[in-house]
Amino acid sequence: MRHSPRGGVGRTSVSDDAQFHPPQALFAISTTSIHPPVDPASASYLQISPRIQAGPHIKSTMSNPFTLNGGACLAMTGKDCVAIACDLRLGQQALTLSNNFPKVFNYGDVWLGLTGLATDVQTIHSLFRYKVNLYRLREEREIEPETMANLVSSTLYERRFGPYYVSPVVAGINQRTGKPFICGFDSIGCIDFAKDFIVSGTASDQLFGVAEGLWEPDLEADELFETISQTLLNSLDRDALAGWGAHVYIIKKDSVTKRLLRTRQD
Amino acid sequence: MNQHPHGWGRPRDDVYGAYDSSYLNSTQPVTHTQRPIVTGTSVLGVKFQDGVIIAADNIASYGSLARYDNVERLLQVGTHTVVGAGGDMSDMQYLHLLLDNLLIKEQYPADDHHLHAPQVHSYISRVLYQRRNKFDPLWNSILTAGADPNTSEPFLSYVDLRGTTFSAPALATGFGAHLAVPILRRHVPDEAAVKDLTREDAEKLVDECMKVLWYRDARSGVTYSWSVITKEGVETGSKKIENQSWKFAEMIKGYGAQNI
Amino acid sequence: MASSYLLPHAQHAPHAHPTASSQPRQHHWSPYTENGGVILGIAGKDYVIIAGDTRSSEGYNINTRTARKIFQLGSGIILGVVGMSADGEELARKVARKIDDYKRNHDKHITVSAAAVMLSRTLYQKRFFPYYCQPLLGGLDENGVGAIYTYDYVGSFEREQSRAFGSAAALITPFLDNQINLKNQFVPGSNGEEPRTPGDMPRDLVEKIVKDAFSSAVERQIEVGDGLQMVTVTRAPPRAEEEEATVEDDDEWTGSTISETLSPLKQD
Repeated sequence: MRHSPRGGVGRTSVSDDAQFHPPQALFAISTTSIHPPVDPASASYLQISPRIQAGPHIKSTMSNPFTLNGGACLAMTGKDCVAIACDLRLGQQALTLSNNFPKVFNYGDVWLGLTGLATDVQTIHSLFRYKVNLYRLREEREIEPETMANLVSSTLYERRFGPYYVSPVVAGINQRTGKPFICGFDSIGCIDFAKDFIVSGTASDQLFGVAEGLWEPDLEADELFETISQTLLNSLDRDALAGWGAHVYIIKKDSVTKRLLRTRQD
Repeated sequence: MNQHPHGWGRPRDDVYGAYDSSYLNSTQPVTHTQRPIVTGTSVLGVKFQDGVIIAADNIASYGSLARYDNVERLLQVGTHTVVGAGGDMSDMQYLHLLLDNLLIKEQYPADDHHLHAPQVHSYISRVLYQRRNKFDPLWNSILTAGADPNTSEPFLSYVDLRGTTFSAPALATGFGAHLAVPILRRHVPDEAAVKDLTREDAEKLVDECMKVLWYRDARSGVTYSWSVITKEGVETGSKKIENQSWKFAEMIKGYGAQNI
Repeated sequence: MASSYLLPHAQHAPHAHPTASSQPRQHHWSPYTENGGVILGIAGKDYVIIAGDTRSSEGYNINTRTARKIFQLGSGIILGVVGMSADGEELARKVARKIDDYKRNHDKHITVSAAAVMLSRTLYQKRFFPYYCQPLLGGLDENGVGAIYTYDYVGSFEREQSRAFGSAAALITPFLDNQINLKNQFVPGSNGEEPRTPGDMPRDLVEKIVKDAFSSAVERQIEVGDGLQMVTVTRAPPRAEEEEATVEDDDEWTGSTISETLSPLKQD
C-alpha cells in the first residue's frame, strides 16, 4: 500500500516519548567461590543477553561523540533525480547552541551530508573542499559522485585507528551517464551502496522506519521532495537531539532546488 | 573439632585459625547459586507426525573435565511425558525429586486424571520462574516432550532458569540451539511440516544432530539416551554415535599434532 | 594445602571468610533477559487494534517463530506485552486472573479504565523488582470508544490514541505519527497553514497501515519478523430480540467482539 503524504510541510505539535530502562544495578550480590571456573563456551545457558550485560544499550551522549552534538541526514533516489536533506540543529547534549548548522555540503556535482561530532563535520568539510579543489585542478573536470564515494572512503580509512566521528552520506547525479547515485559510510569508510535511501545521525532509527514505509522506486522530483521532507520531519519530531529547521536539496541532471523547511522549534 | 562446650562443632582455632564470624552480621544479602557446577550439555527434541523424539547425552562435566560419563538426563514423568535437562545436574536431580513427589501426590485421588506433558511443562516453568524471583535459580534449560494419549498430538516446550518458555516443532538447549536447531529447522520449519516427518526420519535427524554435537561440542558425549513418545506411551533407549569420521580434524591447523 | 585450582582465593588473607571480603564477584547472574519483538496499539472510534510480531529471540538466537505477545484477558480486554516474555506472560496471567475475580466478586464486567488502574497497581507492586516488560492495554470504554492504555515498567500510565513499544518502537512511532495522526500534513491548497485533522479512520485502512508498519520494521530490525498477530476489539453486533434474556447467556455478554488474525512476515 502506498502512503502518499498529502499537502504541504510545516509544524504541528506532538507529545513526548519517554522510555524507561530497567534498573541494572539493584541486585549486586558479592560472592566468591571455591569451584573451578566453568568454561563459558561450554555452557551457553550461562550467557545472558548482551544488551542486559551492557546496561542501557544507548550510550550516553556524554561518552559518545556521535551523539554529542545531535543531527540527522537523509538521502533518497528518484526517477532521474536524487534528494539529500539534513536538519539544522547544533547542540551540546540537551542544550541547543545553534539552529543554523547545515550538515549538507556541495562540491561541484556532488553533495555530502555529514552528521556526528560537529568539529569533525567542519574539519572533514574543509578537508574535502581542499581535496575536491585539487582534483578539479588536476583533472580539469568536476568530480563524479562515484569517485567522491571512494575519496571519502579512503580518506576515512586513513584514520582507521583514530577515526573522525562522522557518518557521511554522498548524493549526486553522474553528469556523464545521468545516473542518480547515493551512498553512505561508517566512520572508518565502509561504503553502503544503497539503491533506495541512506540515513545517518541521531534520528537514524526513526528515519529508517519512516523511509522504509514511505519510499518507493521511480519517484518524480516533486514526489521525491514530499517523501524525503515527510520522512525527515516526522523523524526529527521524535528525536530530541535533531530538528530546528531543515535543508532539502532536490537534484536533477541540470537543476538543483534547495528548500528550507519550516519545522517545530522544540 | 573444637570439643569445648561453648565452641562445640566449630573448627579448632589452633588448627584452622581464629573463626571469622563477621559473615554472621554481614549486611550482604544471602547468596545463592551463582553458577552451575556439574553440568550437562544439549538436549534435543523434534516433533514428528505421531509423536515426539527427545535425546540427551550421558556426560556430566565439571568445568572442562568430563566428570561423569553415565548420567541419565532424560526422566520419564507419568505415562506420556519425558523431561530432558541441561545445565546444573544437582538442580536437575532436585527437580526430578519434585516431579516424583508431584506424581505421587497426583496418584492419591485415584480419579483417573493424569498429568501429561502440558501440565508437567507448566509445573516446571512455575518452579523455575519462582526460583528466579527468589534470586535462587535452578540453573537448567529444560525440554518437556510428550504426546496426547488420545489424539497423539505431539507436545514440545522449553523452559530455562529465568522461566522463559517457548514451543516450536524442533527445540534444543545449550550448544544444540546453535548447532542442531538450524539442521532440525531445515526439516521441520513449521507445524505443517511436522505432519510430513515420519518417526524413522525423525530418529535419523536426531542421530545426525547428536553426531554434529559430538564433533563440535567439546562437552558432549559419545553415548546418548533417547525417548520416543507416541500415544502408545514412552519408548526409551541408549545409543552410541556410529560411523565417526575425524578426517576433518586433519585440516584444522594450530591445535593438533601437525608440524605447521 | 589444597591446590590453588580448588581454592582460588587461598593467596588472600588465610582463613578469611569468603563473604566477609569485599572482592569483586566472579560471575553475575541477571534475573532479566530480553526477548525482542514489537507491538503497537491503535484506538479508533469504535474499535481497538493491538498488533505484534511473533518472533521470540534471545541475543542472536531465534527461540521460536510462533510466540504470541497479545493476550485476551476476558471481559473484552486485551493486553500486549514486549520485553522479557517470562515476565510478560506472568503479568498477563495475573491480570487475567484479577479480571476474572472482579467479575465473580461484582457480578459485572470490569471497565477498561478500571482494568487500566488495576494493571498500574499490579506493576507498581513490583516497584523494586520490576516486571521487565512494556504493556499495552486495549478495550472499548463505557461509551464503546476504543481505548489504549500505555505503561512504563513500574506502572506510570496514560490513555493514548496510538503507541508502539519494543525493539522497533523508534522505527514505527514516527511512521504512525505521520500516517495515523497525520502529523506534518496539511490541507492541500492551504499553503501549509491548515493541518489535516485525524478524523475517524476506517478499520480496514488502519489495518493496512499496521501491516505496512510491521513489514517496514522487519526490513531494518533483526528482532522483528516471522509473523504478525493482530487482535481487534469491536462492538458486538446488537443481539436479536429472541436472543435476549437468559441469565447464563448474559453472563458472557461483554458488548465486545474480539477477533484475532495471524499473517506471515519475512523470516530472515
